Amino acid sequence: MEDDISGVLVGALVAVLGMVGLFMASGAYDNAIFIFGLSLAAFAVLFDIGLIRRHFDRRSGGRHV
Amino acid sequence: MSDAAAISETLRAPLTYNEDVVRKFVVAGMFWALVAFLVGVYIAAELAWPEANLGLSYVNFGRLRPVHTSAAIFAFGGSVLIGTSFYVVQRTCRARLFGGEALADFVFWGYQFFIVMVALSYLMGYTQGLEYAEPEWHLDLWLTLIWVIYAVIFIGTLLKREEPHIYVANWFYLAFILTVAVLHLVNNAAVPISMYSAKSYAAYGGVQSALIQWWYGHNAVGFLLTAGFLGMMYYFIPKQADRPIYSYRLSVVHFWSFVFMYIWAGPHHLHYTSLPDWTQTLGMVFSLMLWMPSWGGMINGLMTLSGAWDKLRTDPALRFSVTAVGFYGMATFEGPVLSIRDVNALAHYTDWIVGHVHSGTLGWNAFMSFGAIYYLVPVLWKRSGLYSARLVAWHYWISTLGIVLYISSLWVAGIMQGLMWRAYDAFGFLQYSFVESVSAVHPYYVIRWLGGMMFFVGALIMVYNLVMTVRSPSTRRAVTGYPVGAIAAGE
Amino acid sequence: MFRHEWIEKNAILLLVLTLLTISVGGIVEIIPLFTIETTIERVVGMRPYTPLELMGRNLYIREGCYTCHSQQIRALKDEVERYGHFSLAAESMYDHPFQWGSKRIGPDLARVGGKYSSDWHYAHLVNPQELVPESLMPKYGFMATTPLDFDHIDKHLRANRIVGVPYTDDQIAHAKDDLLAQANAQMDADALMKRYPKAVVVPGNDRAPTELDALVAYLQMLGTLVDFSNTSPEKLQQ
Repeated sequence: MEDDISGVLVGALVAVLGMVGLFMASGAYDNAIFIFGLSLAAFAVLFDIGLIRRHFDRRSGGRHV
Repeated sequence: MSDAAAISETLRAPLTYNEDVVRKFVVAGMFWALVAFLVGVYIAAELAWPEANLGLSYVNFGRLRPVHTSAAIFAFGGSVLIGTSFYVVQRTCRARLFGGEALADFVFWGYQFFIVMVALSYLMGYTQGLEYAEPEWHLDLWLTLIWVIYAVIFIGTLLKREEPHIYVANWFYLAFILTVAVLHLVNNAAVPISMYSAKSYAAYGGVQSALIQWWYGHNAVGFLLTAGFLGMMYYFIPKQADRPIYSYRLSVVHFWSFVFMYIWAGPHHLHYTSLPDWTQTLGMVFSLMLWMPSWGGMINGLMTLSGAWDKLRTDPALRFSVTAVGFYGMATFEGPVLSIRDVNALAHYTDWIVGHVHSGTLGWNAFMSFGAIYYLVPVLWKRSGLYSARLVAWHYWISTLGIVLYISSLWVAGIMQGLMWRAYDAFGFLQYSFVESVSAVHPYYVIRWLGGMMFFVGALIMVYNLVMTVRSPSTRRAVTGYPVGAIAAGE
Repeated sequence: MFRHEWIEKNAILLLVLTLLTISVGGIVEIIPLFTIETTIERVVGMRPYTPLELMGRNLYIREGCYTCHSQQIRALKDEVERYGHFSLAAESMYDHPFQWGSKRIGPDLARVGGKYSSDWHYAHLVNPQELVPESLMPKYGFMATTPLDFDHIDKHLRANRIVGVPYTDDQIAHAKDDLLAQANAQMDADALMKRYPKAVVVPGNDRAPTELDALVAYLQMLGTLVDFSNTSPEKLQQ
């Protein structure tokens, strides 16, 4: 129960942050912000895929290690 | 008493602790340890043989040094601290981490993302130019988010605990989490030139900037590298020695005097500078007084072994933890001495300070981490024990010797620099040009490099041993009964 | 009768008390530095950095020069003889952040300005060992070939003004002109010198300013601004 709520909330937060990353990268003056923004978006996508994967793993009864 | 509860808690531990995130932090901690040591060895080589800078912007000493310090303090130290705090707070509260798996995972991956981004940005030359607070504003904001969530998980777990008492290790972890948050927020206040640029200007200038930076810098040592690690000491040494903490009263006195006094000591980094004298004096007085709580903590850690000293012979992992406390005692004696204005006049700006820092970071922080990780790996991966006690012993002796070479060579180099800079000849002129002091310390820089190299090799041995502990069939746990693994690991 | 058990059994109480305990020292030491007026001495000559010096200073920070060089001459006899008058708080008051440093792998730079010629600095930064064989300093030849990025120079000055550096509207409006005028000895520098007295014009290459130009301009002003003939020990009392 706690894990499900936490998954949804954290997933949403990370998705918003990924968006912020794209926004920053789009207007970047320098490499640091460009790379940071794109990496943040990539981080968000990968992290949320991980959350989704775990959700289905758990539902199908496989113990996630 | 809460100590006794902490000792016996594994016996009735439910199986629902979140150990997954702890395992991840342990792996990350070991990985970053290797990175930090390797970069350290490399920049030590650059000082001994400047051709190693290669004329390339990315590997110049000035850009790599922050990579080394941040990798050591925040990546290695931080991962070990967050990981062990998650382990300890669950066990001693008998509660699963607050906020569920996703939140804990976010702290893990978010923190690793922070580290990678920071390292990349240093190599590209983006830095605030404040020691140990080099990350630029966007990364500071990211860390703030991670840290707030980390604090929520930790405090949330304390609040839902099943044990009536909060165990002493958690007081120290809590002080570490709170203080690092305050330090980070205040010292990194800055105005970026645009939200699309990584360049910012610090909110404070000149003398105020200097004091706030060293208030931050000294307490990063005090609360990240000391309070957090004392939390580890208060949990893992009693565990490994299988004895309760020596004195409950001493731990109460130790805790409150420590958190009160440490904060004041920062100005000792700025003796004889343009910082007003009253601030310097205040910093020196508190640094001297700080000796007491530091040694109080050391005594509490060491005396926990009374009646169990023989374990040092049989449990090489415990040897790391105990030696760490010994180095802590040494560094916290040397520190107050160095904070005395007249001693500082000689030692400041020299390699003595670098040696002093490494007796703390290698001797205390890294050894404490090694002790805890050697204890944790068999427990977390459910193995019967470590793959090889002999390899632990090899690791121990190689790294101890490495530290001795490191700090003694820099004592000599540092005192030599200090004396050469202030030496006068018979006619009342300065005797040496600056560059003569540079040439004079070359042999000691080579010895320092060698000491660092040995420490690195020791860590490689450790990683091999840990991988084999997890992989080798010889450490497979017996199917039934009390986990024998815990016994071999010193439980 | 107080019992420590109360704190041990109440996480919120422990949290609040810990926060209060760690706050005392910082408040007592830091707040007065902002309120006591004599913390920063009253001296004549201090001015904000010229745009080129500011960019040079950013490069000094970028390359981590502070990891090897201090910019703080302590009030000790040998230091004053080696490097010059001890550093004043006023001399770094426009530094956001300060760059006093903590380690001297190389010498102090607080008063390096004017000690060597600009040509010496160019040669030394490109290949330090050619001029000082024992030097441990990395080579910064790549800065001689990298054009300086100053597209947003006005934004740099504005951000400085927000944190308290007194740049005037005039200075911000002419930031780009001033930068170009200082990076090229062929150009007319009168307006620059009026806005920023004692600025050192670097030789440059009469094309685009390089990173090295900015760094040398910065190094050449270090410690040269305060007029020490106009001070006395009483005035420097903190």
